[in-house]
Amino acid sequence: MDSMKNQATPVVTKETKNRIRVDYEGKLSFKERLMEKLKASNTWIKIIVAIFRFVLMLGVSFVIIFPFIAKIAGSFMTKEDVIDSTISLIPKHPTLEIYKAIIVENHYFEALANTFILAFTCALIQMIVACLVGYGLAKFKFKGNKLLMALVVLTMVIPHGALEMSMDRHFIYFDLGTVLSWNYPGLIELIKGAPLQLKNTFTPLFILSLGGLAFKNGLYIYLMRQFFKGVPDELEESAYVDGSGFFRTFFQIILPLAVPMMITVFLFSFSWQWTDEFYTGLIFDTNIDKVYLMPDVYLVPQSLRFDYAGTALYENVINHTGGLMIIAPLIILYLFCQRYLVQGIERSGLVG
Amino acid sequence: MEKQLTIKRRRKVSLDSRKARAGYVFVAPFILGILLVYLPILLDSIWFSFNDIKPAYDENGVAYIALVPQGLKYYVFAFSDMAEGGFISNLLAGLQQLVFEVPAVIIFSLFIAVVLNGKMLGRAAFRAIFFVPVIISTGIMTSLNANDMVSGEMAGGINDGSGGGIINALEVEALFRKMAIGGELVQVVVNLVNDIYQIINYSGVQMLIFLAGLQSISESIYEACRIDGATAWETFWKVTFPMISPMILVNAVYTIIDSFTRSTNVTMSYISDKIANESQATAMYWIYFIIVIGIIALIAGVISSFIFYQRKD
Repeated sequence: MDSMKNQATPVVTKETKNRIRVDYEGKLSFKERLMEKLKASNTWIKIIVAIFRFVLMLGVSFVIIFPFIAKIAGSFMTKEDVIDSTISLIPKHPTLEIYKAIIVENHYFEALANTFILAFTCALIQMIVACLVGYGLAKFKFKGNKLLMALVVLTMVIPHGALEMSMDRHFIYFDLGTVLSWNYPGLIELIKGAPLQLKNTFTPLFILSLGGLAFKNGLYIYLMRQFFKGVPDELEESAYVDGSGFFRTFFQIILPLAVPMMITVFLFSFSWQWTDEFYTGLIFDTNIDKVYLMPDVYLVPQSLRFDYAGTALYENVINHTGGLMIIAPLIILYLFCQRYLVQGIERSGLVG
Repeated sequence: MEKQLTIKRRRKVSLDSRKARAGYVFVAPFILGILLVYLPILLDSIWFSFNDIKPAYDENGVAYIALVPQGLKYYVFAFSDMAEGGFISNLLAGLQQLVFEVPAVIIFSLFIAVVLNGKMLGRAAFRAIFFVPVIISTGIMTSLNANDMVSGEMAGGINDGSGGGIINALEVEALFRKMAIGGELVQVVVNLVNDIYQIINYSGVQMLIFLAGLQSISESIYEACRIDGATAWETFWKVTFPMISPMILVNAVYTIIDSFTRSTNVTMSYISDKIANESQATAMYWIYFIIVIGIIALIAGVISSFIFYQRKD
């Protein structure tokens, strides 16, 4: 009894702002404690599992990263290096000719600027619309709520291809609320006298974004809806009791909570719009006043077209170099946003 | 007294209807978008699949679009296209691909999410790496990756002619044949392992959704399990799995949608590359859409009967 009392008398050996190190008489040394721990049977299992897990994760990460390493290596090669079987990753004659050709002949920076304007505006609109619609679907009971949710899923299921032809015609003769818009007048024709011509402009994508109908917008609405469902109703109720209206409550109380999730949605929509070639291919079809966009970047530049034994492989290397240049800005954006990505998801407490 | 009651009731009703009205305002962009833009496009698309479209000129020389009714011709053709490499065989190939891909993506993403959810060395770095495919494996990159000779070529230099695959099919086949497992099943497994890069690329969003689901499971349940002496294995199957089961439904539906509507999907690429007639392609897309909806309804129905919903009262 006496000895135990002695043992429990702590002596402070080190004190910093956050930690206090305490020693007491008869305390086992670090080595002894380690040995004690190793003797316990499940410690070994834990260590083995941890090593196994780490190696497995490392392996899968390698599978993800290796193609990038290979493509980066390939992008610095000359056309002779590409087919040289003694070279696997490190080029013999490192060169920047592929990059140079893509920047000059494929109008890389022009494509970058155009795509940035398009993707940024679309992502911003889509994020705001997903927030509003998601909140409306999550927190308000009204007739047709479930039907609207079904429609949100439906817009994701309909293959883009099915609407390709019809969208094409609709953007040539753009009108609101009418079928076969070149025959039957809609709202715009009633007001302005003629349907709008929207081909070769960004407007169709902005319009689709405004309606929450662009690429994978159903997913964003779903994510926002699930997030808002996880926000306790008491928060809004207390705001209402204090005399705040629905919209003020939303903008001042609920929206600040949703910032990480909004960044997640923004990141998704920005990068998916960035790499989109379906809609841009549909809307920009003529070569007059060509608007350079990302899909133009990965084409093989004229000056690099050679006819030799490795043409197919070399052109593939060029395509992928273009691919690397397309995703480079996304990777930079991702490095800044990735902690919000996990945070937004973690805090959301999504429910099925 | 009576008067007071009626006032009270009216007030309550008015709050509800005010809330409903506010709800409509919030979802207004989507409703307007559907009614004014999407529905017309949708109806036109259905209409186009029953008509031929021809550019024509009226008496003043102004171009317009003429529709020539074709009835069910394109639908009948799609169903009668039984030849090898035709619509029906591509449809079946697409379905077969789906049968293997959906479970693989779901199991893989659940596994990775569980591992990334636990404490481990370098977790933040692994998370960052695992979510890279989410942002870059769509659109242009999907079609580029579908034709990737570079990685294979470079890897070929490293493993020195093992065929570029991760595991050697012949060795695994030999192993499994001794265990008397059918060769076709082995081939499926080998293909899945060699397609691991594709599976990782397709399971980014699913991983995020699972991770969110795992985070929402209350720590106190795990604590109770530890106190009662449950092993990690038991805890996973008796707590984590049931709690995450709603996410499995969501992910199954999302994976099916994603897999079916991806431009590199067997059926999608067949229709967009091989069918020159736009009306014919549209008709095929609509048949395809109906089948997809049917499959989603079927699978959602099956899975939802196994789902456990935690009551949150």
